[in-house]
Amino acid sequence: MTDSERKGAVLPAAKEPGDAVLDFLRLVMEKKLADAVILPLKVPSGDSYAWILMNDISLLDDAVPIAATMPVHGAKALRSLTRKGPGNLTVIAVMRPCEIRAAMELEKLGQVHPDNLILATYDCPGAVQLQKYVDDPAGSEKLFTEMMQKGKPDDSAKPVCHYCENFSMFDSDIHFGHLGLSDKEMFVIPGSSKGSKFLEELGLTPAVDLSAWEEGIDKLKTDRKKARKSAFEETGVQLRGIDGLLSVFANCIGCHNCQSACPICYCRLCYFDSETAEQNPDALIIAAEKRGGISLPEDRILFHTGRMAHMSLSCVSCGQCSDACPVSIPVAGVFSYIADQTQRTFEYIAGRNDGDPLPLRQFRKSELPGVHELVKDADAEVSSHE
Amino acid sequence: MSEWQPKILAILCNWCSYAGADLAGVSRMQYPPNIRVVRVPCSGRVDPLFIMKSLQSGFDGVLISGCHPGDCHYISGNYVARRKFAVLKPLLEFIGIEPDRVQFSWISAGEGERFATVVTKVTEDIRKLGPSTKLVKKL
Repeated sequence: MTDSERKGAVLPAAKEPGDAVLDFLRLVMEKKLADAVILPLKVPSGDSYAWILMNDISLLDDAVPIAATMPVHGAKALRSLTRKGPGNLTVIAVMRPCEIRAAMELEKLGQVHPDNLILATYDCPGAVQLQKYVDDPAGSEKLFTEMMQKGKPDDSAKPVCHYCENFSMFDSDIHFGHLGLSDKEMFVIPGSSKGSKFLEELGLTPAVDLSAWEEGIDKLKTDRKKARKSAFEETGVQLRGIDGLLSVFANCIGCHNCQSACPICYCRLCYFDSETAEQNPDALIIAAEKRGGISLPEDRILFHTGRMAHMSLSCVSCGQCSDACPVSIPVAGVFSYIADQTQRTFEYIAGRNDGDPLPLRQFRKSELPGVHELVKDADAEVSSHE
Repeated sequence: MSEWQPKILAILCNWCSYAGADLAGVSRMQYPPNIRVVRVPCSGRVDPLFIMKSLQSGFDGVLISGCHPGDCHYISGNYVARRKFAVLKPLLEFIGIEPDRVQFSWISAGEGERFATVVTKVTEDIRKLGPSTKLVKKL
C-alpha cells in the first residue's frame, strides 16, 4: 500500500484521543472480534502504569491506552504472552510505535509470535521520563496532555523522543492518527492486510482521505529529522574515543538495569552475568600486572560495548535503558547513535515488518567490500605469484 | 631490552585457514612469529566480543580468517562472519581503535603461501601502529 492510496476511517468524536481508542476497543469487544485486550492500566498507587491483559470489558473504563510514561516496555508484555508460540485467541494490543517496532524485532528473533495478535499504534508525541513521572505523577500527566496537543515532546520527555522519526504509523496492523488534526478528530488506518480485514469486519471501511493528517505528520517528521542530525553530531563528538566513552559511563554502577529494561536483550543468561565472565583472582592479578591496573568489578565498559555489538542492529531507540539507569547515564543516546551507524551498514531499519530477516541472518555473496580491503595488498601479491 | 614485538591473535577456521597455516608450516614458509593461533569451527563462530576481549587482554591486533566465499564448510558461516565484522567495525572506530588492528581475510587450505603473506602484512601493519593502549589500561 503506498502512502498516496492510504485511506482511513473516522472514529466517533470523543473527549480525548485515548477515549476514542477506548470506544473503538469497546466496539471490538462487543462484536467479539477479539478475545482480549492488552492496555496500560494505572497502578493502584496512581504513580505508574502496568500492562494488563484484560477480557473483562468493564476494566476498559480504567485503562489508559495512551499512557504518559512507559515503565515496562510493551514488547516485553507481548513476549511474555506469546514467547511459547501464538495462542488460539485473538488479542488486540495498543502500544507506542517503538513498542511495536521492538515486538517486530523480537518476532524476527523468535521471541514474539504475532499471528493472532492485532497490533495497534498511535501518533506518539513522546513519553515522559519514568523518574520524572514517579516524582510528580499529576504534573507529568498535565505535561503529557500538552505534549499530545502540540504533538511535540517537551523537556520532561525522554531525550530520544525528541529525535524519534518513527513516532507515527510504522508497520502496525492498525494505526490511530490524531496528531495535527482538529480537536476530537481521530482516524483509524489499516496498516496491513490483517488490519484491513479487521476494520472491515468491524464495519469501519477506510474511505476517508488522509492528506491533512499525513501533511501534519510529515512536517513533524522533518523537525525530528533535523533534531536527530544535530543530536547525533553532538553525541559523536562527545563520545568519540575510549576517553569519551569512559567519561559518559564513568558513573556506571554495573547494575545491568539497562540490559534488563531493554526489550531486545532477551537472552536468559547474558554472557556478562554468566560464570564465564567471572575470573579467578590470579587471572585478574596477572591482568592488572600487565596493564598497570584494572578497575573492579572488571568489564564495566566492555559490558556496554559488548551489548552494542550484540543488539545494536535491533535497537529501536525506545529509551528504556536511560529510564532504567539509576545514575542518569544517557545510555539511550549512545545506543541510538551506534544503532544508527550499524543499521545503516546494512540499510536496515529496526522494527520494519517487510519480511526482511535480521541482517545477521542473511547475506549477499558479494557485499561489504570494505571489510577485507585491508588485505587487498596481500591479494595483489598472491595473484602476482600465480 | 629487546625491541617491542606485536602480539597478534589469529582466529582461524578449522576447515580452510587453519589448514592453510598448516600447509605454510609443512612447506617451511617463513612468516613472523607474532601470531597466536586459536582454532574455531568456523569464522562465523567469532563473536565480536572475542575481539574486544582479546584487545583488552593485551593483544595488539586480531586477525580473523575463514574460507573463501562459496567455500565455507557450513555453506554460509563466512558470509555471516563478514556481516558481524561489518557491525564491529564502526564500533571499534567509535571506541578509538585503529581499524588496522583488527583484520579479516579469506585463506583456503591450499593457500599456504597466501597465509604467510597475510600474516606478514598484518604483522607489519600492527607493528607500525605500535602497542595497543586504547583498551588496555582502562576497560
